Amino acid sequence: MSGEHESRFSEAKPARSSGSPKAWLWIAPWLIGFIVFMLIPSAMSLYYSFTDYSLLESPVGIGPANYVELWNDPLFWTAVWNTLAYAGASVTIGTLVALLVAILLEQHIRGCGVARAIIFLPTLVPLVASALAWAFMYNSEAGIINRALGAVGLPTPNWLGDARYAMTALVIMGFWNIGTAVVVYSAALRDVPRSLYEAADIDGAGRLARLWHVSLPAISPAILFNVMISIIWSLQVFGAPQIMTEGGPDHSTYVYQLYIYESAFRYGRMGYASAMAWVQLLATIGIAGLTLALSRRLVHYRAA
Amino acid sequence: MTITSRQLRVSRRAAIGTAGACALAWAAWPRAQRDLAGMPRGRKVLHYWEKWTGAEGAALQGVINTFNQSQEKLWVVRVPISDISSKAMVAIGGGDPPDLVGLFSYSVPLYAEAGAAMPLDSFPEHEWRGETDYLPNIWKLLTHEARPRAGVNTCYTLGLYYNRAHFREAGLDPDRPPRTIGELDAFADRLNAKDAQGAIRRAGFLPNLPAWWPYSWSAYFDGRLFDSATGRATADEAGNIKALEWIAATAARVGRAEASAFAQTFSRSIHSPQDPFISGRASMIVQGPWLANFIRLHNPSLDYGVTAVPIDDALPQPELPRGLLEADVIIIPRGCKNPEASWEFLRFMQRRETQEQLALAHCKGSPMREVSSEFLARHPSRFVGVFDAIARSTRADVLPPTRVWPQYADLLGGAFDSVWRGADPAATLAAVQARAQGLIERASSLRAARAERGGA
Amino acid sequence: MSLPSPSPPRRATHTSRQTALSDRVLLSGLLWLTAAVYLAPLLIMLTGSFRSADAVLDPGAGVLPRLDDAAQAVDNYREVWTSAAADFPTYIRNSLMVAMLSTIGLTLSSAAAAYAFARMRWRGRDALFVLVLATLMIPPTVIIAPQYLLFKHLGWIGTFAPLWVPAWFGSAFSIFLLRQFFLTIPRELDEAAAIDGCSSLGIFWRVILPVARPALVVVALLAFIGSWNDFAGPLIFINQPHMYTVSLGVYMYQSQHGQTPWNLALAASVIAVVPVLAVFLLAQKAIIEGVATQGLKE
Repeated sequence: MSGEHESRFSEAKPARSSGSPKAWLWIAPWLIGFIVFMLIPSAMSLYYSFTDYSLLESPVGIGPANYVELWNDPLFWTAVWNTLAYAGASVTIGTLVALLVAILLEQHIRGCGVARAIIFLPTLVPLVASALAWAFMYNSEAGIINRALGAVGLPTPNWLGDARYAMTALVIMGFWNIGTAVVVYSAALRDVPRSLYEAADIDGAGRLARLWHVSLPAISPAILFNVMISIIWSLQVFGAPQIMTEGGPDHSTYVYQLYIYESAFRYGRMGYASAMAWVQLLATIGIAGLTLALSRRLVHYRAA
Repeated sequence: MTITSRQLRVSRRAAIGTAGACALAWAAWPRAQRDLAGMPRGRKVLHYWEKWTGAEGAALQGVINTFNQSQEKLWVVRVPISDISSKAMVAIGGGDPPDLVGLFSYSVPLYAEAGAAMPLDSFPEHEWRGETDYLPNIWKLLTHEARPRAGVNTCYTLGLYYNRAHFREAGLDPDRPPRTIGELDAFADRLNAKDAQGAIRRAGFLPNLPAWWPYSWSAYFDGRLFDSATGRATADEAGNIKALEWIAATAARVGRAEASAFAQTFSRSIHSPQDPFISGRASMIVQGPWLANFIRLHNPSLDYGVTAVPIDDALPQPELPRGLLEADVIIIPRGCKNPEASWEFLRFMQRRETQEQLALAHCKGSPMREVSSEFLARHPSRFVGVFDAIARSTRADVLPPTRVWPQYADLLGGAFDSVWRGADPAATLAAVQARAQGLIERASSLRAARAERGGA
Repeated sequence: MSLPSPSPPRRATHTSRQTALSDRVLLSGLLWLTAAVYLAPLLIMLTGSFRSADAVLDPGAGVLPRLDDAAQAVDNYREVWTSAAADFPTYIRNSLMVAMLSTIGLTLSSAAAAYAFARMRWRGRDALFVLVLATLMIPPTVIIAPQYLLFKHLGWIGTFAPLWVPAWFGSAFSIFLLRQFFLTIPRELDEAAAIDGCSSLGIFWRVILPVARPALVVVALLAFIGSWNDFAGPLIFINQPHMYTVSLGVYMYQSQHGQTPWNLALAASVIAVVPVLAVFLLAQKAIIEGVATQGLKE
């Protein structure tokens, strides 16, 4: 045994295992899961998108007819614009809010630990519960939002019942769920090397300058990460519009996923729904790619 | 120091691990299913998916209990399912159906065409006399292309409820409700009450409260949505346009934004003590027969009446009430384990006594042609006769028997919303017509394609 | 946006202590305002669940719970808990079981994959990692119906398997988080263990996992929350009411044919939130530690 030990010592084997087969063993669960639960269903879904499929009957091939119909379907475009509007507002303002809150939490004010926990709490709440609580808050007579607005003399819109305000109501509700983004930003802010701040202080930079010239560039990878996640998730928004407004009033909150769901399960058109889903997948990849490309100039990666 | 902290870590980990294991054990421990409690041994179990919960569900359970006790072979278990239309599609399509499914009548065409609902004329008849047992409009709903596909399970029409006390206050005769659309508008104007800011305090009549049947207004203008003879959608028919023009005029008169805001405050309150009609916030409302039950429950001293919904001023045969007759149905799904057993129970549900028992509990009218005098005498609503008259009226109609109805209905709902916001009724309906007709034609050509391949 | 370059020092315009105090007060106020805004919806949910159906819609009612509401609160919760329309005790049991099974599986399998990405070199590793991240972009609706058919073929419809088995194959988000964390673990620890005779499995189990405990707790907590709150999955895959999870149960309860009043709907929501809150509070300390030491350097 000692002989073996000695020989291993003298050979100085590298600590990393470099064998390919071993690595594939570790990856195997994820890879199998990917193939079985994602790749194959995606392929099936692609196949269905070229058929008419009501779930109750077997699929009938119809070529690209679904895609052509999508192009000419006014409700499809309504859903697209609604979802893009939601994503646009959510991502931009949401990122700003999360950043500001994270920066605020990093100012070492007493009780920021409690505040941090409170801000993270909404992430724990099931979507159904949030939707109910917020729908209640948006109730035009008894909800707290209108009561507060009315108390200070501001107009009290019919949030969920007025086509002009419903989408805004949903976007505002989205800002309640910035918990995970704040956590990511907090971690990133703490990782910024002091030396950078010290250099800025030497230059006489004030608070805001430090923020703009040091903190933000330093955490730009985290910002990119959160923005990407945010884009992907907001394009897939479904639960809140479905529970709170059912896509109304007057289709003002009719988001893309809602149309997919209704096509599949209410109208019995799984093929059409699959076509829509694939269009969304490709669009998401496109938008993500575009964001990555645009970010090249803005994101500073520090040496590890 | 390393040893102590590691020990601490281990002991905390052990504690959490044990707690987790206990939670898992408690969660996974097999427990008797609530719904199979009390079942005598040796019976075949039938699972019956139905949408009703609460009092309606309890009423159904009473009927099921009667069945279970009346024979020794079968035991029916009621499974309350929300969102039953989509669940049923997924379950039946996926080959894992229950033994009976309660759907809405508008699902019959789709299920019939897809072969997902077993045709009932392939079962032995016994006391079931199909066509002669039901009201003619009900029989229309249960059949598709001349084959019966479903049993009925309560039906309803809509009537106009009006608050007699409010009528008296406003100087209107409480025994003389509006009969025409013109009268409806005039009475509503007198009953409206707004507060200082212009918000509605009390609504005379609002067609968007509740907004559950946006497609139903055409019926009062003799507008038809579908031509069964040709199988075409007729959304842009004159009667339908007139109906939406009336909706537009009402919205403009009452105040679009105010009416929407008013309606939205009742979003979860329908049938509760805060219901707009029950709480006296709306003087007139179009609702089903069941509202009487809720009135008696929450506000028994409410002085109200019910009449047929007012119709357009210049229609032929104005003495015949108009309206849409809708029904809940039960189907035997394709692929269920024991269709004969399901049929036994379905036949029981189609007995006049059974349907009357349910209708009494649900406070609805009876779908059967013959009605026992007991039914009318014991009915919880004094006004059941009004709803019954509508159901029997030769001018009443049913929903378009086409498989694209859900999408067509949503298009019509969208049209209602657009017109409410000020869009032009004729143009809106023309667009709906084009799209609906397109959907119908698409569905027929696909059906032909399937038939060619010998599928479904 | 650029990093500052050296230049002659300038005198500060305020004394640092004065700046600190006035700024501090302002920032404190802002912080507490933010915390209050974020807490408000939960508070309102709680307060609403304590009131009667009439009182909950009363525009003049207060936001904070009152002591006199106690009896009504007990009534409401008892009504929801023992409701014939929804079996919340069973739903919680179901959710607990599914969430725990999912959490264990997700954490282990994601850690395994992350280990391979962080510590091993092989051809196609980086491309595969990009693929892992790309799977985040797949909208659930693309795959959920085919998944249903797949599960039907496997005979899993009617069981809980569709809800927790896929978790045992890892998730892109968790793999990403753990890989980033594993990269920050010094390789000397690996090498020391290898010298002592550990195989890669041994290194994984004895070195990486213990050191990565904070990150693992974060991943486990997120997995638990994700599973508990998952609503689309149970909506499609679970048909029988006695198998509903809490999320689905609340949804079904409030979307009944005969309208659930606000106070009961909110009470049901509170019931859905409480268990997750409890788990969170248990793990909170570990999370804060975990976040602080976790890096997102690329």
